[in-house]
Amino acid sequence: MIKKWLIEMGSPPLFYKWSTKILPWLFISAILILGIGLFWGLLFAPTDYKQGDVYRILYIHVPSAILGQSIFMFMAFCGFINVIWRAKISGMMLKSAAPIGVSFTLLALVTGSIWGKPTWGTWWVWDARLTSTLILFFIYAALIGLHSTIDDKTKADRAVSILSIVGLAIIPVIKKSVDWWQTLHQPSTFTITSSPSMSPDMYQPLLLCLIGFYLFFALLLTLNLRNEILERERTKNWVKQLLGGVG
Amino acid sequence: MHSSLFDSLSIILKRDLMIAFRRSSTYITPLIFFLIVVTFFPLALGPQESLLSSLAPGVIWIAALLASLLAVETIFSEDFRDGTLDDFFISLEPSFILVFAKVMIHWLITGLPILVASSIAAIILYLPLDSFIPMLLSLLLGTSFMSLLGALGAALALGKSAILSAIIVLPFSVPTLLMGTSVITSSLNNQDFSGFLMIMGAMLALGIPGLCLLTVEALLLNYE
Repeated sequence: MIKKWLIEMGSPPLFYKWSTKILPWLFISAILILGIGLFWGLLFAPTDYKQGDVYRILYIHVPSAILGQSIFMFMAFCGFINVIWRAKISGMMLKSAAPIGVSFTLLALVTGSIWGKPTWGTWWVWDARLTSTLILFFIYAALIGLHSTIDDKTKADRAVSILSIVGLAIIPVIKKSVDWWQTLHQPSTFTITSSPSMSPDMYQPLLLCLIGFYLFFALLLTLNLRNEILERERTKNWVKQLLGGVG
Repeated sequence: MHSSLFDSLSIILKRDLMIAFRRSSTYITPLIFFLIVVTFFPLALGPQESLLSSLAPGVIWIAALLASLLAVETIFSEDFRDGTLDDFFISLEPSFILVFAKVMIHWLITGLPILVASSIAAIILYLPLDSFIPMLLSLLLGTSFMSLLGALGAALALGKSAILSAIIVLPFSVPTLLMGTSVITSSLNNQDFSGFLMIMGAMLALGIPGLCLLTVEALLLNYE
């Protein structure tokens, strides 16, 4: 049953039809949850006693940083499937997820920088987490750059899949080594990790924002993927029929 | 049966080394490039001994990374253009052997000259003599890993611009850079550096099978 469904989803036309059905639900739930979470967090959550209202950027910063990393995991997972089973759709998924992932990573870097200026007094610190996020951004850039240089889309997908697998293996090593490097060079000048745990009325909107961001990613991914499918299968009959049958 | 694997490995090594030694630029260029980059740091930052010796680990490692990337796109491009690569994939030899041999060749013509030149770099950057052995060990492990990564980058960017393979490879070389410099810096501060060397060795041990197999996969993309 599940196997049959998975195999069906591997076929671009069937996925396209299925996604048409779920798209409105995805749209409504993403907008609703993200909207509630952001409104709650930005307007109604209590003001932080130390940082004031500045801390509210957290409701965008934290989810986008988490998304930046989990989208990479998702891409590497797609890459695995693409390299092993040559499933066409997983390659398209990988390709469609990359620009979203790099945008969230950039958003995390920019909001972090804006948050850092009033609280730490500087736009940038060579902290372990900041550094590894920056390197994650470069890895995304390498994946996207590689994809754009190869003309054959299926081959480009496979090349990027191979590189994303290397990325999955090496990202934990990068994180660990950046941690060690940090402790070797400068013993902690500040501790963001051991900040007092959040009160529930700040935490609940954050959780909603996080779920909303995930749903928003699913929505963007589906939209991107549908475009990708149409573009690559534009010579196929089902696309021609769908778009008003010129052929 | 297993001796034939080593036979084919040594045949490829012999052939490629012969080609490399006929054109001296293949192994001279990375060496000179490395020394020029190292020389530019004192020129740009000023010749104070204390400053230079504290910067030496980083300078040597950045120069080594750049120099080992210099010859990356030549790993497969020549053989791809004249059809030698096609011949190899048609033959019944395991393609892992080919990639492994190519990585070894790349290390012999870039990593080994860098290793030799690093002693000169260490002298002109006033690195204390006690740090020479850690530096050489870290470069030995690190440049080998860079050759593996470089082969993957070259295979993925085969027939594309040389700068592309550099951009692909550089973000993934961060752990090597950090560990390599940490080894030398720790030895400068009289700290234990064996842990960093062990991690570099572990990365190399995982990289030889893992990256070589992925490189085979990437090369086969050109034959579909």
